[in-house]
Amino acid sequence: MGKTDRITERQLRVLLFVSLLSPMIRILPSAAVMLGGRAAWLSPIAAFAAGAALLALTRALRKNAPEGLGLQDMAMLGLGPVAGRVFGVLSALWLTYYGGFLARSAAERLLSTVYPNGNTPVFIVVMLLAAVLTASGLTKTVSRTAEVLMPILLGVIAVVLVFAAPDISAENLLPVTYRSWRDILYGAAPIFNVTAGFGYFLFLRGHVTAERAVRPTAFPWLAILSLIALAVTFFTLGTLGESLSITMENAFFMVIRNIKVFGVIERVEAVVVAIWIVTDFIFLTSILMIVAEIWKTVTGVKRRSFFVPPTAILSGAAAFLTARDAFEFLRLSEFIVPAISLAFTVVLIPAVMAVGKLRKKY
Amino acid sequence: MKRAVFLSLAVCLALTGCSSGLTIFSNYRRLEMIELVRTVTVDAAEDGVNVSICGTAGEKQEARMYQNTGPSIGVAMNELTLMPLGRQAILSHTESMLIGEDAAKTRLDEVLDYVERFSEMRLDTGLFIVRDGTALDLVSGVAGKETPAADVVAGLAENMPKVGEGYVFSCREIAASLSENGCALIQCVRGEKEEKLFEDRGDLNIKPAGFAVMLPDSTAGYLTEEETLGAMLILGKYESHNLDVPVEDAVLTVSVDLVKPKIRPVFSDSGELERIRLELELQSNLVSMDGLADLRDEKLRRKVEEKLSELMGGALEKVLERERTLGLDFLDLEGICERREPIKMEDMPQRWEDIFTALPVDVSVKSVLMRTYDIIDPPEISGKEEGSPWEKLTESLRGS
Amino acid sequence: MRRETSRAAPQVGENSPVTVAAVEKVFENCYDFESRELLIGGAPGRTARLCFIDGLVSGSDVAEQVIKPLTDPERFGGCKGAGEVIAMLLGGSVYVYTAKSRTQLGDLAGDLLNGFCALIFDAERTAVTFEVKSQQRRSVEAPKEEKVVKGAKDAFVETMKINTTLVRRKLRNPHLKIKEYSLGTRADTAATLIYIEGFTNEGIVAEAERRLSNINVEGALTSAAIEENIVDNPRSPFPQVITTERSDKFCMNILEGRVGMLVDGLPLGFLAPGTFSQFMKVPEDHSGHFIVASCLTLLRYLAVALTLLAPAFYVAVAMYHQEMIPTRLMQSMIEAKQQVPFPTAAEAIMMLLAFELLQEAGIRLPSPIGETVSIIGALIVGQSAVEASVVSPVVVVVIALAGIAGYTMPNLDMGSALRLCRFLLVLAAIALGMFGVALGCALLVYHLSSLESYGVPYMSPFAGSEGRHVSRALFRHSMTDKKDREPELKTGGGGEAKL
Repeated sequence: MGKTDRITERQLRVLLFVSLLSPMIRILPSAAVMLGGRAAWLSPIAAFAAGAALLALTRALRKNAPEGLGLQDMAMLGLGPVAGRVFGVLSALWLTYYGGFLARSAAERLLSTVYPNGNTPVFIVVMLLAAVLTASGLTKTVSRTAEVLMPILLGVIAVVLVFAAPDISAENLLPVTYRSWRDILYGAAPIFNVTAGFGYFLFLRGHVTAERAVRPTAFPWLAILSLIALAVTFFTLGTLGESLSITMENAFFMVIRNIKVFGVIERVEAVVVAIWIVTDFIFLTSILMIVAEIWKTVTGVKRRSFFVPPTAILSGAAAFLTARDAFEFLRLSEFIVPAISLAFTVVLIPAVMAVGKLRKKY
Repeated sequence: MKRAVFLSLAVCLALTGCSSGLTIFSNYRRLEMIELVRTVTVDAAEDGVNVSICGTAGEKQEARMYQNTGPSIGVAMNELTLMPLGRQAILSHTESMLIGEDAAKTRLDEVLDYVERFSEMRLDTGLFIVRDGTALDLVSGVAGKETPAADVVAGLAENMPKVGEGYVFSCREIAASLSENGCALIQCVRGEKEEKLFEDRGDLNIKPAGFAVMLPDSTAGYLTEEETLGAMLILGKYESHNLDVPVEDAVLTVSVDLVKPKIRPVFSDSGELERIRLELELQSNLVSMDGLADLRDEKLRRKVEEKLSELMGGALEKVLERERTLGLDFLDLEGICERREPIKMEDMPQRWEDIFTALPVDVSVKSVLMRTYDIIDPPEISGKEEGSPWEKLTESLRGS
Repeated sequence: MRRETSRAAPQVGENSPVTVAAVEKVFENCYDFESRELLIGGAPGRTARLCFIDGLVSGSDVAEQVIKPLTDPERFGGCKGAGEVIAMLLGGSVYVYTAKSRTQLGDLAGDLLNGFCALIFDAERTAVTFEVKSQQRRSVEAPKEEKVVKGAKDAFVETMKINTTLVRRKLRNPHLKIKEYSLGTRADTAATLIYIEGFTNEGIVAEAERRLSNINVEGALTSAAIEENIVDNPRSPFPQVITTERSDKFCMNILEGRVGMLVDGLPLGFLAPGTFSQFMKVPEDHSGHFIVASCLTLLRYLAVALTLLAPAFYVAVAMYHQEMIPTRLMQSMIEAKQQVPFPTAAEAIMMLLAFELLQEAGIRLPSPIGETVSIIGALIVGQSAVEASVVSPVVVVVIALAGIAGYTMPNLDMGSALRLCRFLLVLAAIALGMFGVALGCALLVYHLSSLESYGVPYMSPFAGSEGRHVSRALFRHSMTDKKDREPELKTGGGGEAKL
């Protein structure tokens, strides 16, 4: 009964699924509608296609890689120890910043929605402290947490969307014709940016057991994620219309604000915002774990948890210092951070894997 | 290390209340100090805007009104919500906002912006424009001793579509319409002095007064009752209403319950938008009859239906004419046509803004009288000398 | 029966030779230690010393089965020496079904403490011990805590032998193994490990054996002494082994692939591994219709959510998120709260504490008074406190609802753990509102996910089972349906259960 830290393929997928719900709500539907207009509710379908292509590419690139290797191990193997370490340091630094960005994003969202008179520091500090606690534990524990919480999250989202349905107006969603394909593709870009985040979780593949998963690929999970993106966009766009969906920062929560549940509960916004905090927390924990995993491989130190507190401190610094106010933060979250994230997940990570494959290291 | 983290978490908790930067206590509101606001009014004032809130501090307490004047709604409301003796008004349960006519002309966009931005307020808050008076006077006039104004306004909002007299657009709908169509419809109300039938009523009674056609920074015009009905029919906001249909020797009161508008753009071969066809199907039921009319007679029923179509068609014609006169597509005909024929609308060489004021709209109304609710008038009431075929048969059977 | 001794066995000069003087030295100042000389075959000159602990042995059995035949001249009169007498005693001349030869003082002392009487032959440095245990024991009764209407009414008692008999009667399987252990450095309590050889996972059995053998306590007289030593994470308040007083539930779990432990002196059976979903099941589930049982199981899960979250949710909403309360309810809450001098946080904490005090008082007091105190307490806390405007009625309703929901927990330890977590979530709600509640719940789930019981994830089948078999935790399938065993128990003999 040893304390081995192995997870199954499914557990890794559940972890990344729950985690990716977090950035999804940051960009949806405003960013998608800004680019895709009224047709943006179909953009998740296009994003799914792009995400599936990227997933297929990464599967092909790591096809013959030995089991038990995470992405950093593959980089060290494929690029060599020096270049591999450089890649690792870059990834760790970027993800450390990204963790802080996530914490700040969650805090800003809380202030915009249910804590209007609050301050970001309390939320950032508390979330990071909690994430340090959980990231210092085993990967399998975090995965199991995600497994347990996932049906609850999906259930709440489904119930909330059912109650939001009466407010949908077809006028806000139509017309969409074959000519809207360009808009649909433009709108897919920010969504694809989110789903491509599965690339970060490749760093944790070293913990995955060799057992075959019930479902051999992660496409079903990508499909469900895209379905949720579609539902969020559809319901928000259908309720608020194009212009309001663009102008409002947290348009989805604005829709939730108007929901009444049989007159028993009104404005379930606070509950839904709290639910999303759970996804933020899981994603932040995962990021801290991933960074610690990278440092562990780069430095050769055996205990991964050693790196978690300093990573959290740096992430906290990034959260506080990254933007002076919400306007600067909005600019970051609309353009700069998505661009860098996309560069990492769509370009750099596949490139690193491809180099290793070409050099026949695996 | 885990203990250190736990300790830090516990310290975070313990620090609550000690420092405003590290807590969320600034969001804390004591339940007993809350004034629950259900109605908000906004009126123009000399040096800004006059805002009032109508709320209660408990179930058995009387509703109270507070007002404040300020240079902007935000400033006035801020001072208003922070009340004496530590009480605090919360706007999260605001059901309706009433804006005076003058304030609506210049401050509508500010009102909508305030509602959108302020996280306490709901976007589905209903918006009214008060004509012939200030919103404050109306709200204070309709409230009775134990009947708050909010209940009176809420009752009106619920009943209006059922009697075809109006529809309360929410802030969300108005904001979306202004943003996408450049104009929006807002329900108007006015106060009328009425004899107090029972103690619990105020001196005024709130009555619907048609729709106002609003631009972001001005009022374009007001619709009459008939035009309002026409707008409701086209926009799908209609629920039902009763109207009298005079035919031959009788006046039939019918309830129009189901209305299906169909709007289709008609294009020429060259792709130009020639006209719009508006077809309205409606179903009605007989509520009461004053006079003699045998509705078993199919010809008579057709006459009733034609008359009804004429009446309803008239409302449609009037509101369409109004749209042309004002030059504002407050019925969103463009959007309807786009949804109907998106490709052709995209390809048409004309610009909608240039053509729609002169665009002919062919209105046709088809109405069906569905049922008479169980009363089949016998010959002695209908005045017919001959009985129905059924009666003849039964008489002959009895005879044999 | 091979008896495993735990490492810390009682120190009685174990290897010393058996003599009367040595035995009397060991048991000096023990008023219940009896010793008398017997004439073998009634002849003087040939004696043996009879020793026993009064109270542990049955006097009539000692007299009839041991003294009477031993002193019979016809039976033992012809024996030439002590050696022959010993051989005859071991050969069945004395009508006791268990007879053992002891040459070491430690073994002899252990036998005497286990209800044996001993015949000591000083010259031979040998004793022969006979099992003549007293029948003064509690008889098998109906279970007091885990009651069912349609199930068996035989609960475990303090005597381990009776308990193992109950198990044997229900599981007539030749592969059912019952291994005995001795626990406690000063109490030498007997314990047994029960499993089905070839069926129960060997790893779980080995781990259970290891943990039982390593129990280092002075006396295993309470369930905590066992439980805290055999669970993976003793610091967690959540129970990780299943405890039951019902023999049928015990056997059902053995048949599912768990190992069972019985301890002498405790009317409880312990079963491992224990997972969260197991603590949501009651014996009644298998007595009633499967659809009804499934609905009740779902109700219990709802009760878990209610008992954990209702007070915290109320505090968060009343303090920070009043917009969630419907208008009319909000008006009546404001009205009620205006007379109450305490803030919502203080009200909630006070009521929770009052509820816990009432509960503790109800448990400690004797039954008639306990019931009265409960009623008075409910009246005082519930009604008078509201009328005196010490607390508002909504708080009373919420806390009472949470408390009642907690009482639906089939397992007392689980209920206690949830009560503790409820407090913590209320504190989180006070500090951080709904954000605190959400984060608190996430941390709670994390803690539960970190637990394992004998290698099985505590939250299985919700976690760690590949998303399958979750229905097994939430519903009771019909007995006629094909049913797979719990995969995490990794039982032998095929995956399908034959019922």
